[in-house]
Amino acid sequence: MALHVSRRTFLKDLGLGSAALPFLLNLSSLSHANPGNPKQRLIIVFSPNGVVPPAFWPDEVGSDFKLKRSLAPLEPFRSRTMILNGVADKVRGDGDNHMRGIGCLLTGIELFPGNIQGGSHTPAGWSSGHSIDQEIKNFLQSQPESRTRFGSLEYGVMVPERADTWTRMVYAGPNKPISPIDDPYQMFSKLYGRVKDRESLQSILDDVQEDLRKVEQVVGAADRRLIEEHATFVREMEQELKTSASADVGHPVPELEPGLKHENDQMPKLTRTQIDLLVQSLVADFTRVATFQFTNSVGQAKMRWIGVDQNHHELSHEPDSNEEAQEQLTKINLWFCEQLAYLAQRLADTPEPGGEGSMLDHTLIVWTNELGKGNSHTLDDIPFVLVGGAPGFKMGQSLKFPQVPHNRLLLSLAHSMGHHLDRFGNVDYCGDGPLSLG
Amino acid sequence: MGHRPVIAFVLLGFLMAGTRARAADDPPTGEQIYTRLCANCHGATGQGTNETQNHPLIGDKSIGQLTKLIEKTMPEDNVGSCVGDDAASVAAFIHESFYSPTARARNEVARVELARLTVSQYRNAVADLIGHFRQPQGPGVRIGLRGQYTRVEEKERHRVIDRTDPVIDFDFGEGSPAAEAISPEEFSIQWQGSVFAPETGDYEFVVKTKNGMRLWVNDNRTPLIDADVRSGVDPEYRASRFLLGGRTYPLRLEMRKSKNAKEKTAAITLGWKIPGGIQEVIPQRYLSPVHGGETFVVATPFPPDDRSVGYERGTNVSKAWEQATTSAALEIASFVANRVDRLAGTSADAPDRAERIKAFCGRLAEQAFRRPLTHEETALYVTRQFEKPGDLLAAVKRVVVLVMKSAHFLYLDIEGRHDDGFAVASRLSFGLWDSLPDNQLMEAAKAGRLATRDDVRREAERMLADPRARAKLREFLIQWLHAEGSPEISKDSKKFPEFSREIAADLRTSLELALNEIALSQSADLRQLFLADLFFVNGRLAKFYGFELPEGAPFQVVRPPAGSRWPGLVSHPYLMAMLAYSGASSPIHRGVFLYRNVLGRSLRPPPVAVAPLAPELEPHLTTRERVSLQTSPETCQTCHGQINPLGFSLETYDAVGRFRATENDRAIDASGFYVDRVGARHEFASTTALVEYLAQSEEVHQAFTEQLFHHLVKQPVAAFGTGLPAWLQTRLIEQNFHIQKLLVDIMVSTALRSESQTRAPSVSDLRH
Repeated sequence: MALHVSRRTFLKDLGLGSAALPFLLNLSSLSHANPGNPKQRLIIVFSPNGVVPPAFWPDEVGSDFKLKRSLAPLEPFRSRTMILNGVADKVRGDGDNHMRGIGCLLTGIELFPGNIQGGSHTPAGWSSGHSIDQEIKNFLQSQPESRTRFGSLEYGVMVPERADTWTRMVYAGPNKPISPIDDPYQMFSKLYGRVKDRESLQSILDDVQEDLRKVEQVVGAADRRLIEEHATFVREMEQELKTSASADVGHPVPELEPGLKHENDQMPKLTRTQIDLLVQSLVADFTRVATFQFTNSVGQAKMRWIGVDQNHHELSHEPDSNEEAQEQLTKINLWFCEQLAYLAQRLADTPEPGGEGSMLDHTLIVWTNELGKGNSHTLDDIPFVLVGGAPGFKMGQSLKFPQVPHNRLLLSLAHSMGHHLDRFGNVDYCGDGPLSLG
Repeated sequence: MGHRPVIAFVLLGFLMAGTRARAADDPPTGEQIYTRLCANCHGATGQGTNETQNHPLIGDKSIGQLTKLIEKTMPEDNVGSCVGDDAASVAAFIHESFYSPTARARNEVARVELARLTVSQYRNAVADLIGHFRQPQGPGVRIGLRGQYTRVEEKERHRVIDRTDPVIDFDFGEGSPAAEAISPEEFSIQWQGSVFAPETGDYEFVVKTKNGMRLWVNDNRTPLIDADVRSGVDPEYRASRFLLGGRTYPLRLEMRKSKNAKEKTAAITLGWKIPGGIQEVIPQRYLSPVHGGETFVVATPFPPDDRSVGYERGTNVSKAWEQATTSAALEIASFVANRVDRLAGTSADAPDRAERIKAFCGRLAEQAFRRPLTHEETALYVTRQFEKPGDLLAAVKRVVVLVMKSAHFLYLDIEGRHDDGFAVASRLSFGLWDSLPDNQLMEAAKAGRLATRDDVRREAERMLADPRARAKLREFLIQWLHAEGSPEISKDSKKFPEFSREIAADLRTSLELALNEIALSQSADLRQLFLADLFFVNGRLAKFYGFELPEGAPFQVVRPPAGSRWPGLVSHPYLMAMLAYSGASSPIHRGVFLYRNVLGRSLRPPPVAVAPLAPELEPHLTTRERVSLQTSPETCQTCHGQINPLGFSLETYDAVGRFRATENDRAIDASGFYVDRVGARHEFASTTALVEYLAQSEEVHQAFTEQLFHHLVKQPVAAFGTGLPAWLQTRLIEQNFHIQKLLVDIMVSTALRSESQTRAPSVSDLRH
């Protein structure tokens, strides 16, 4: 009884009438354990500019494999790690390899023509399809038992302040890139803010919609779609305002260190803060799908904190014969891997809310990259390192494939989330369906 | 369908004739097969035909799927006649030409699309919307800050000096700022005025002092840094403020030297780090002694605008953008509600407070929508909001949120067909300022004085003098030079040990000064961007580039070292260093820049991705020889035959933009050539010949005009009639290549939209 009273008081503080109560209490994030239907999560982590193959790929195939230097931080998770060598991004068409590398990585389909010109090849625009994380999000959001407040969250670290093909990995649809949020304060306010502004907003929503309806009648037929799309977002906001009262987050609202800035040298701190927010948002079941984008394709981080002064992309162009550069690139990927291990550790240390085991047992982390190797710009051997657990995935093994199209892996990821797709992106690369990773 | 067999027979005849005409090992192309077998029913471009009532051939199947579909079902009257390679190549042709979403995007005809405000337009419009109800910002000549020095004796304060200090960088030691008037023991100084922000972004202010200090920036109430009470020994304070470019912001700095025995000395430095820049003492050219009003700057982050067509535009909406407009609306609403009495010109206890606030809300909506409100609009946006439950401030918040979320604020040209003076005023102000119309424009619109090309010309000429127009022009020129975002330049420390971050930052300043000099001069001659000898150097740059100047000398143009020259901006060392590797020059990057940005040409894709040959691998070759060697294969030459000879003409500048006569002890060969669009070949013996060619090249003028057009109007030039580029070209020549007059002409040809859309400029317009 006491619980109900406090919850009701809480909702009242959010400015919501009691009419919304029954609906809110049915939300998965407010209800307790649901043992019959365990949650499954997917986190896709991106780092740019390829890897140093000899320092990355295990020599062995099977469950008895050794981790190379760049992957050493995963040693505590070796039995929960799966390394996939020989998966290739076969998508061709417009754009250079960096652009297609990131733009087709999660979409598996060609870029539209555009006039963003890369270092080579034809210019290109945005992806012509949506990304797998959004496909899975749409699937999960379509069912009441897997629906969450956000459906997906897009985290970033030091993503440049410009929207172009190299800086966007996630797509809601053709020509619909989604900007990752790399400002922890902005992410914080997305997750926890707005409680007080809700009242003002709700009181004018009908008027905003009326405004758009009137305008829709005035503009020409060709432009109407834009206004319609805008109106859809306003309707979605209305929905979110209703459900976001479930900002009953189930944990104390975290406190962020003040003064973090979008600055190269703050990258380690920004990364930790964003990972902590990510873990919190999963604990609260705000989402079950997340992406985490380090910089961008052609990323220029200067990792001075590990003794690398030159920028990442420039280094990645150095030939194999430049041993010093290869050593530095190995260290760069080692650093990214440490962040991956930190994320895995945080999840391993957190018991699965209302379920069995730890959160890591119910989460698949996929670490990937837009290129196989920086100096050759190859789209073969795209790095895919999986950590955690997912139904149908046998962890603790190293696999080698004969350059199979990565669309098939995207299908496997969807299957791991219970979404049994048989094609995604360009159908011609979906071949025999999902890769078997059992 | 009795006639079908006949057609098939005729087609077969074509097919046979075609086969005979070609070589036996040359299979028909997809296009040929389509024309023969498919076009009759599906139309020449897949549009369908009336006769067969076929739907347009559009969809999202892959080439593989289309191939199978064709093999199984097409042509309807002879299924099985187009299979295997034929089916595959016709599928590929259909897919590439008109079927796929990518092909359709490629084929779209240019039109003026409905557009929302870009992020920059949004931020500027909000700043000017709030600014409309506040004290205007005085421009002021940028000569430094006003310094007021106060003597403190026996707690009596006397202001004894009032002067202008060009920069704040003082070390008084144990002495006094003015021995005759002020005792060194105790005194205070206040500097005030305005600071100019050259571009939009985070400005980090840095004050170094061991004395008491407070700094206010764009907020006259709450200090940005408060170190009036000293605790600890930290001599340096930093804080950031997000500022919009092209505007001035009030700034005040106070320092206080106390009698405290431990505080024997007095010193203070006011520095900053501008976006993409380095930390420096704020230079005089950014400081003015006029202390004006604050500017409201929206802090809510917005997703960057779409630039996939080469310029920022607002022709799409996304969820992230919609959410940002909501957050920003709430931010603005709370800002307005917090100071509504001052903005509305009333006070908390005024008897007519409610009426005045309501009237203010109406004026705010009118200003935001750029036109007077109708009765229904007043009812919706104002009256209704005051009738809902809650107090007066809640109503103000509702109005602000609603107005800021309204399509009338967020979109341009929402009025569609009715093309009145208010629409023209908006096009002018967003075109030249990226912001709302000012009072004069609104007055002109109300009085019907924005109806003719002369009206538009008059207003545009007036508007050019505003700092916002200069900021927009500067932003364009920086983009034209591909230098936006202040790219960080780092060089090989072994080869160029003296090239530092400070040199790179000085080069950036030098480039900006040259741009200003050309674009804001009396003649503002486009050709001078190529020809003018305007390499500004300070003491540091002078030393590095071999000029004769004392060490601490400020930026100036001086005679270059014997035998060297940096004509125009395309050879400016900032560009030369940016378009180079860390250890070697890059004729390819330089050539591509000239070919694409300056000459406006497009490039075909290289057939293979190639990593550049490392200089160390071919130490006996010059850069020119190495690049020629690597791009010598026939397949590379199609493009590199065009790119390289342009870039070679800049080989007189090394990877840091220093002038050089030799490389690897061999004389530099800076000869080159360019083959223009009509195939004429132009030879250059040197950089000077190259820039002279570029300065008079029609292709260069056209590319510049088109890019400037897109930067201002943010709509495709092709949507304004085919005659427009030629008209602008003629005007450019008539006006002696005056860049600012070109801005006016672009406005004249686009602000009166219904007119310019329906007809190309006439002969009488040309005479204008």
